[in-house]
Amino acid sequence: MAPPSGSAAYKKKDGTLTMSQDRQSISWIPAAGGATGTITLSVSQITNLQQTPASNPKVMLKIFVLPPDAPDNSPEQYVFNFTAGANARAEADAIKDALSAAIQAAKTAQAAPTPSPAPGAGEGMSTAMAFASAVSSKSTWDNDKWLKGDVELQQSLLKSDPNLQRMFMESLHTKPDTLTAGQFMSQFWSTRIHLLRAHAIERSQTRGSYNVLSTLKPRVEDNVTKLNISKEQIQLIFNQHPLVRRVYDENVPKLSEAQFWSRFFQSRLFKKLRGERLSETDATDAILDKYLQADEHGNLPREAHVPHFLNLEGNEVNNSQRRGNRPDLDMRWSAPDKVPIIRTLNSLSEKIMANVAPADGDPHAPVGMDEDTYNELQLRDLRGDEEADRVLLNIRDQSRFFSAQAKDSEDEQNRLFAQQDPEKILSDLRREIEQNLPDDGTAPLGRLVEPDELGDEKESNQQPGSRVSLQKSSAQIIAAIRDRRAQTDVSSTTGTYGLSSGLYDRLNLTHATTTEFLHQFWQAFLSGNPDRAAELSSLVDSLSRAMERIKAVAQDAEAERQVEVDRKKRHAREVMEATGKKPRLNLSSIQGGEKVVNQLMGPTIQALETAQAKYKAALAEEMKEASAQ
Amino acid sequence: MNAVDATEHYETSARDPAPALLTVVLDTNPHAWALLEDSLPLSKAIANILVFLNAHLACNYANEVAVVASHSQKAAWLYPHENPATKISHDADGDVSMNGSSTNNNTTEGPGQVNKYRPFRIVEEQVTHNLRELMASTSGPDVKANNSTMMAGALTLALSHINRRSIAWAEAHGADTAAETSGGGPPSGGHASGTDTTEGLQSRILIVSVSGASDSAHQYIPIMNSIFACQRLHIPIDVCKLSGDAVFLQQASDATKGIYMSLTEPRGLLQYLMMAFLPDQRSRRHLVLPTRVDVDFRAACFCHRRVVDIGFVCSICLSIFCEPLDNGTCLTCGTNLEIGDYGAKPAVVARKRKKKKRVNGPSGTATPTPTPTPGP
Repeated sequence: MAPPSGSAAYKKKDGTLTMSQDRQSISWIPAAGGATGTITLSVSQITNLQQTPASNPKVMLKIFVLPPDAPDNSPEQYVFNFTAGANARAEADAIKDALSAAIQAAKTAQAAPTPSPAPGAGEGMSTAMAFASAVSSKSTWDNDKWLKGDVELQQSLLKSDPNLQRMFMESLHTKPDTLTAGQFMSQFWSTRIHLLRAHAIERSQTRGSYNVLSTLKPRVEDNVTKLNISKEQIQLIFNQHPLVRRVYDENVPKLSEAQFWSRFFQSRLFKKLRGERLSETDATDAILDKYLQADEHGNLPREAHVPHFLNLEGNEVNNSQRRGNRPDLDMRWSAPDKVPIIRTLNSLSEKIMANVAPADGDPHAPVGMDEDTYNELQLRDLRGDEEADRVLLNIRDQSRFFSAQAKDSEDEQNRLFAQQDPEKILSDLRREIEQNLPDDGTAPLGRLVEPDELGDEKESNQQPGSRVSLQKSSAQIIAAIRDRRAQTDVSSTTGTYGLSSGLYDRLNLTHATTTEFLHQFWQAFLSGNPDRAAELSSLVDSLSRAMERIKAVAQDAEAERQVEVDRKKRHAREVMEATGKKPRLNLSSIQGGEKVVNQLMGPTIQALETAQAKYKAALAEEMKEASAQ
Repeated sequence: MNAVDATEHYETSARDPAPALLTVVLDTNPHAWALLEDSLPLSKAIANILVFLNAHLACNYANEVAVVASHSQKAAWLYPHENPATKISHDADGDVSMNGSSTNNNTTEGPGQVNKYRPFRIVEEQVTHNLRELMASTSGPDVKANNSTMMAGALTLALSHINRRSIAWAEAHGADTAAETSGGGPPSGGHASGTDTTEGLQSRILIVSVSGASDSAHQYIPIMNSIFACQRLHIPIDVCKLSGDAVFLQQASDATKGIYMSLTEPRGLLQYLMMAFLPDQRSRRHLVLPTRVDVDFRAACFCHRRVVDIGFVCSICLSIFCEPLDNGTCLTCGTNLEIGDYGAKPAVVARKRKKKKRVNGPSGTATPTPTPTPGP
């Protein structure tokens, strides 16, 4: 195949855009001026391709090239305007397809990490041009840049995820003014690339074809059998059953369309294609019954390559009787009229699968006795268990795993251990056990557990099990239980923590957007990129605004609680006026208010403060450096 | 006449709450016990534990106990220990041979001993006997060589015993539990379904620990594996810490919903055992447990033991580091890791000059990251 070429204008000069013979570069040669104005772009440097959508009468191809020495975020752009009139679209498509294939090949060969997304890549895209992503859709989700730039994909993701949409809108509204929408979008999506990728993959999946004939169910209306059939269904029937297409071709001019279908659905042929058994009572049809004996596969080219392991033809050669065995009856080819339903289902599945592009394996690969075939023929069941292929994790030094902060006390203990004389401690232990725990289980447990209280009081208090020690230990246990109960009590107030649900939702949203801005702040702050300094300061502004928003929510919550408090007080007054008794007011039982908000948002507030403090410290340091220079 | 049908007896017994198996892992590290000698000698601690075991046995006639010693050079069974050399031999049906040995005859000295409840007595005899043997078999060099205790081995012994007993119990109690056994692991410990009739043997582990943790570092992975096995089988690990402190034991009891107590007053051991550790899983559901509330979950880096807010985690072995590693090699597993342009010195002032001194590695433009740091 000759490399594709097409006449295209670059910077309003006419010329020819040609793919090189080895498909490693693409060059544009101006029609006038000879080779001097030639532009040659290496495929390996091309980062992106964009083409005007098919609906657009203008045919343009935009090539993004990243020269190896250029910084990451400044790809050069070449726009070629195809000028071949009616032929322009075809030429452009040919070049684009060839290019994307070459790019794909170059990418897989490189296997290099994709370049980090450039800040504000979304801006670079001119919305007026509305370029459609041109490189084959297969790789779209592998490229972070495309994912970040594809506004349509993002919109569709937002539509499918209302939570994300809510947060997106809220963050968009509260973003600092200095941050453009484009910057904001690119930042917002840069941390959600995985969502975009999943969504892109999800969208690219399509429903496959299905068994049409089995879904056609006639219904009876006014004693007339009726069946609705759509154009798509006819299309599918033709695809799946080439025989029907043949019958249709040969007969329709003679029969009317409606007549043909009504006869077909009542015919034996229909039953046969559905895999049902024919019976004598079935209506005969002079025209269609001719085709009953026809090859149901029609002219469908059979996949020639059958794995040897499954190929029944191999059994034909196997003459079992020669060795004195019984005739081999299993796994033999049999006449088509046996078990028609299985045959029909098999052939149908075959046809449906034939229309699906195989994701694995190359259909053009040579067929023959290669290594794969050899492997195929091996009887895997006869092999032993395969050895587990594990990745070994080598742990070098485990000593640090256990040492807690209390390193000193551990060292102290080790020192004490080292001082001990092993023989002495062993003999002490043995003697003690000998003395207190006789070998035959006659240990006086009662005496061991409960010390003699009669002796010196001071001494007996030092004994295990003395009254004092028991008191101390039970005090510890009860204290632990008290702590524990206090903790479980707090967590039992679930739900909205006494806030009204509207306020709680607002709090939730505030939290989400604050987290989003914190995220963006840290990304910019830690990027170490001086170009983003302006953006950073605007993000800091938005952080302080986030703090204000939290405070606003807290104030509203307090106001809400105050209303409740007032109501209770008023009620108490009324009760007092009516009965003359002062009821006990328990205002602390009213939950909610500022306290709860601050409690819930505590970590967030702390995070905001930390971020701001870090920023201030870094700012002060840089200022000092700047003035020192 | 159906009322006198004898099967009724079995029907009701099948509805009885399942018995509990209490496995005590006793840390017998001689070093640590020698330090404790003044406050709580080993023999008294054993006596306390025996009383506790008796209490457990008394709760239900079918309750079982097991005792494993986690010694300095090995883990050993204290009870049940099938030792043919033991003077008091038990037949398969649990009979004691009548022609008792000389030691057996000595029981006459204490008139109360002959009337001791049999299960108590068997446990006491075996535990004390095996402990003496264990101590006798320990040599000075053994103790000298090892400051720590064989906790991993002891936990593994305990778990395998629990497994065996659970299967045996399930088999003995027939169809009710058959479905549960076939489903996966043996029915042990707590249960997920919440139906009391189908639960298996209730197992739990009590670790009486005296050793510190740092010396058993080389057992880290086996211990963690045992802990995860317990978590999976719903076996709570209770920890009774007499001295020292071990982070991993705290985490063990927390992960398995057991009770962790670090005793401030080791002399009151029995009080602790009886108050805190006696209830079985079934009762614990209705109780406020005295476990500590402040388990330390903060991540500390592996390189300097600092508690970190922002750390770097090895994607292979999950070690935590407080700062980017030199040339990206994980200190623990040696994997070569790539670090993105994270951690560069923050630039807060826009500069005209392109050239900028960086603290960390080459400039951000030259180190592309495939994906930005994922958000929290």
